[in-house]
Amino acid sequence: MSEKIKAWPGTPLSEKDIREKRILVTEWQPNLKYAWDTGAGYGRYFAELKKGKIVGTKCNKCRRILLPARVFCEWCFRTVDEWVYLKDTGTVNTFSVAYTGTAAERLKEPRTPALIEIDGSDGVAIMHLISDVDPWKVKIGMRVKAVWKPRQRREGAITDIEYWKPI
Amino acid sequence: MPVDKVTQVGQTKPLHGEIPVYAQYTFGIAGERFFREIKDKGRLMGARCASCDLLYVPPRMYCERCFGELSQWLEVPSRGFAHTFTISHVDLDGNRLREPIVVAMVKFEGVYGGIVHRLGGIGRDEVRVGMPVEMVLKPKAKRIGSILDIDFFRPVLE
Repeated sequence: MSEKIKAWPGTPLSEKDIREKRILVTEWQPNLKYAWDTGAGYGRYFAELKKGKIVGTKCNKCRRILLPARVFCEWCFRTVDEWVYLKDTGTVNTFSVAYTGTAAERLKEPRTPALIEIDGSDGVAIMHLISDVDPWKVKIGMRVKAVWKPRQRREGAITDIEYWKPI
Repeated sequence: MPVDKVTQVGQTKPLHGEIPVYAQYTFGIAGERFFREIKDKGRLMGARCASCDLLYVPPRMYCERCFGELSQWLEVPSRGFAHTFTISHVDLDGNRLREPIVVAMVKFEGVYGGIVHRLGGIGRDEVRVGMPVEMVLKPKAKRIGSILDIDFFRPVLE
């Protein structure tokens, strides 16, 4: 509200009106469970993460690495040519010092999500977290290495890498 | 590049997730009155625009043609007709129903608009477009102020 506007027009409702059943309310809770089929490309990418490996695919026509692995190249619409294992080291392309978490909650200690160019991929980057370092000391161009979760805690997801630490 | 083709749905390796959504829908001023009339008095009401000569069902606060405020409320006869219908074999979540249901757009003579609801007391082979139907309410004690206070519409035998 401002000097000019003292009240919005209309008939406002409050949480109290609903709680005390002063008005009629229809409740709705949809069942939004889903199952997303990873397909052949992402499927193997996640399966390899569980084994502690990063796998991509290669398009020989466009001379590029696709990461996460896909089975066709969206530049030339061809089936890709081969699977390639990549190193679990890379270079920070860009990063952020974040005081909010993924659910927009406030964080006391900041985290540093970063775009990490994976070695051997010719500049293809993935989003991940950098840790084991003072957030304010992270630099663009910094060399980092993946810290994997112990084998039994891995579930075939990008979070099987716990974080990346400076080399 | 050799990629194993998935030929059986059961062979896929899906990732599972869930999006939590909870909504409370309130009917607004005209809707509130409309559903209270059904709940408390068991009658259907419409809102009339005199200058456009339209009777809106469900009623609303403003005429969508002339934007005039609608203050004249009239009772609509509980007998209408099936304007159009569909036979649904799946529920809202897409699950197959054991018994298919008939869902119809019920309109009323001289009324602009209508109500989408279930048709009951009729075999699905007997439904016809234009068939006269009447509102069947739930017993008063079971009404909560919802479109489901109307149990269904059933055919009027002539």
